[in-house]
Amino acid sequence: MQQANRLRPFFENLAFDRQDNQMVINFGPQHPSSHGQLRLILHLDGEQVIKANPDIGYLHRGMEKMAENMIYNEFLPTTDRMDYIASSSNNYGFALAVEKLLGIEDKVPRRAKIIRTMLLELNRIVSHEFWLATHALDVGAMSVFLYAFREREWALDLIEDYCGARLTHSAIRIGGVPLDLPEGWTGNLANYLDKVEKAIKNDYEALLDENRIWKMRLENVGIIDKEMARSWATSGIMLRGSGYHWDLRKEMPYEIYSELDFDIPVTDKCDSYGRYKLYMEEMRQSIRILRQLIPLYYSSDSQLMANVPQYISAPKEQIMTQNYSLMQHFVLVTQGMRPPVGEVYVATESPKGELGFYINSQGDPYPYRLKIRTPSFFHTGILQDLLPGYQLADVVTIIGSTNIVFGEVDR
Amino acid sequence: MSMREYKPKDNVQARAYYTDRFYVAPQLSKLSPNSDEIYNLDVIKLKENFEILDAYIQKDELVIYINSFDNLKILKFLRDDLTYGFLMEMSAVDFLAKRDGFEIFYEMLSQVKRKRIRVKTFLKKGLTIETVENLFRSANFAEREMFDMFGIQVNNHSFLKRIMMPDDWHGNPLLKTYPLQGDESAQWYEVDKIFGKDAREIIGPEIRDSARVDRYDTERFSRLGHEVSKGTDIYKSEPSNTAVQFQEKGGVFLIKNLNKPQKILTEKERRDR
Amino acid sequence: MAQHQVKFGNGLPVALTTVDKIVNWGRSNSLWALTYGLACCGIEMMASGASRYDFDRFGTIFRASPRQAEVMVIAGTLTKKHAEFIRRLYDQMAEPKWVISMGSCANTGGMFNTYSIVQGADRVIPVDLYLPGCAPRPETLQYAVMMLQKKIRREPANRNRNIPQKRFI
Repeated sequence: MQQANRLRPFFENLAFDRQDNQMVINFGPQHPSSHGQLRLILHLDGEQVIKANPDIGYLHRGMEKMAENMIYNEFLPTTDRMDYIASSSNNYGFALAVEKLLGIEDKVPRRAKIIRTMLLELNRIVSHEFWLATHALDVGAMSVFLYAFREREWALDLIEDYCGARLTHSAIRIGGVPLDLPEGWTGNLANYLDKVEKAIKNDYEALLDENRIWKMRLENVGIIDKEMARSWATSGIMLRGSGYHWDLRKEMPYEIYSELDFDIPVTDKCDSYGRYKLYMEEMRQSIRILRQLIPLYYSSDSQLMANVPQYISAPKEQIMTQNYSLMQHFVLVTQGMRPPVGEVYVATESPKGELGFYINSQGDPYPYRLKIRTPSFFHTGILQDLLPGYQLADVVTIIGSTNIVFGEVDR
Repeated sequence: MSMREYKPKDNVQARAYYTDRFYVAPQLSKLSPNSDEIYNLDVIKLKENFEILDAYIQKDELVIYINSFDNLKILKFLRDDLTYGFLMEMSAVDFLAKRDGFEIFYEMLSQVKRKRIRVKTFLKKGLTIETVENLFRSANFAEREMFDMFGIQVNNHSFLKRIMMPDDWHGNPLLKTYPLQGDESAQWYEVDKIFGKDAREIIGPEIRDSARVDRYDTERFSRLGHEVSKGTDIYKSEPSNTAVQFQEKGGVFLIKNLNKPQKILTEKERRDR
Repeated sequence: MAQHQVKFGNGLPVALTTVDKIVNWGRSNSLWALTYGLACCGIEMMASGASRYDFDRFGTIFRASPRQAEVMVIAGTLTKKHAEFIRRLYDQMAEPKWVISMGSCANTGGMFNTYSIVQGADRVIPVDLYLPGCAPRPETLQYAVMMLQKKIRREPANRNRNIPQKRFI
């Protein structure tokens, strides 16, 4: 028996004195399909949602405050923990923002850019597979969960071969990447791409595309019209699922996306099923991009980090042999780089949508203010406009199809 | 006699411990808006209708400064006439120490022009700002977050409530005066809430030192091979070897002690198994 | 359990054991875990339940309800806003119950030494096993569950938690 604590049962999910047919239901924060720690207060009339009030902040870790107390390189591993399904895309968003602030985004070597793009796209596949797995599990398709996790593990193996971590990669640094690809990695990648391409067609789509239950639960559920999508500043697939032809990789290209040949799938169905099709198609496009990147990798020079001694440490070999590089490295590690005074807002297309970093620098080694614009934050907000009118059973489908990750929502 | 180290109270965030006296931080260049065709037209149109305090291009993005009471009108103009239809982000920057106020920024995107624009305004301490929630629903959450983190009051917001922190939280975490590890009420928050204030003494303060190791702490750590029951006080003498005990040693009905005396294996024997 | 097989005579093979052992054998081999993915570690917890790592081999099945769960795996960062709920969920679990604190955040607050993080889940609920890592790999979680099984087998079946404790929790 435990010592008594002060917590008393609360009845905020039940309103006894109501005369009407309404009922208030508390959903979360511990709920298997709340994708983390979402809490929803749902007002129901029968089984229909009348009002939904998302309550977030259960994973608020104070990352923006941490950033103000950390030098730029120190903060990079923290970004891993934001969208922990696809860590590298957060690393990249932050690294690119700092590079823009320092004005060294053009000095990142080509091989680093190629490896970064590879990691970003591999992360996109991992993220979409994870989305499919959890979404299908929520809707009731257990086998898709197992299949999707199988391919996801293979992709994690590749990432692990590269940087040593499964989940929290920190594989993209400010100014480049720390490591070259290990031997035989591209061969494994090509094998993986073949496998996952088959899996998308033979497993996921074969199981779900014409599945009656899947279609009944997803079609015409969670309809985000164009106006709502614009007003809520949605991004990524939530935006493209509503008919906007907008992908930052195409419209405001960064890295080497302008050289690559890929398509942006768009649908004007606006419902969950349309978005599911987009996820499948985006995975195919990522596979296409990765296939183009392998030959590009072999035609690039071997330099990995930008050569900007003022901000970026020299390569290890140089640090070990040259005194001045060692001093520079020491200063950069202990005091941190001092970027110019100014502010930047840099957005990248993460698997979830537009991931933006606003950095306000006052010339100190610590950012004066770092605001992280995460797609999931607004995709959670949209629930309060989106859920009313749907049945209680659709709530899980809609939450699933928004693809929110709570590390990102609450930061 | 030693002096206490001076610590500024208006900004308790981490500071560089060494700064060159002669170091002058370089500035990011600010270009005039007429260096970009699209932005130039936008600024001209804006200046025709509203008072624009400053306008420049920094890092390929137009920044305009406006009066804080104009925000609703200007954002509406940007949305309807200049096609900046998306309010991607908005928040504030704490300048209370230097300028006694906040800088609020609205980060907007035009998909038609493929351009971003940052609308900035300065808000004196104690003043309030009008909500733009009716123009952009995304401001609903963003303004709530700003209110939660900075305590900036937003007028006419439909549901201005804390969003990240619990409702009974004290203080606004992103203010420069708020320490990273929280004030006193923050540090005891969960203890007060769950067990009551009386439990503070028993549970003790938070251990914020990540390098702290207490090998005598039997509350938090089990000691493999040297188990003692939880909470045993071993500060005085540490058991070097703990005998493995079974209940039947004392005698269980019908069962004799079937266990052979346990032998403690040497490292080599363990490997051989 | 069957380490005390004594007779292989003409009849059925008979195994003698103690009540403790057989109860603990049952308990330790059907540890149903509460799905309590709070953050990043929750993803690894899911991965350990999925195809490759297949947690069902250990008799560990994830349950969504605290009433059906025996072991709570605190997988992720515990914030102060959430602390109240973890205590409620813990109180709702039926005895006997165990807690695995998975990952640095749940152990000590980890890298998030900030205002909003509970500095160690053991400030709120008692923890049996601390699992280091950020995030621990699925193998680590499985190892932790095996260690917990060992621990369960070692303690008396009618473990009495009524012992007055120094701490509240």
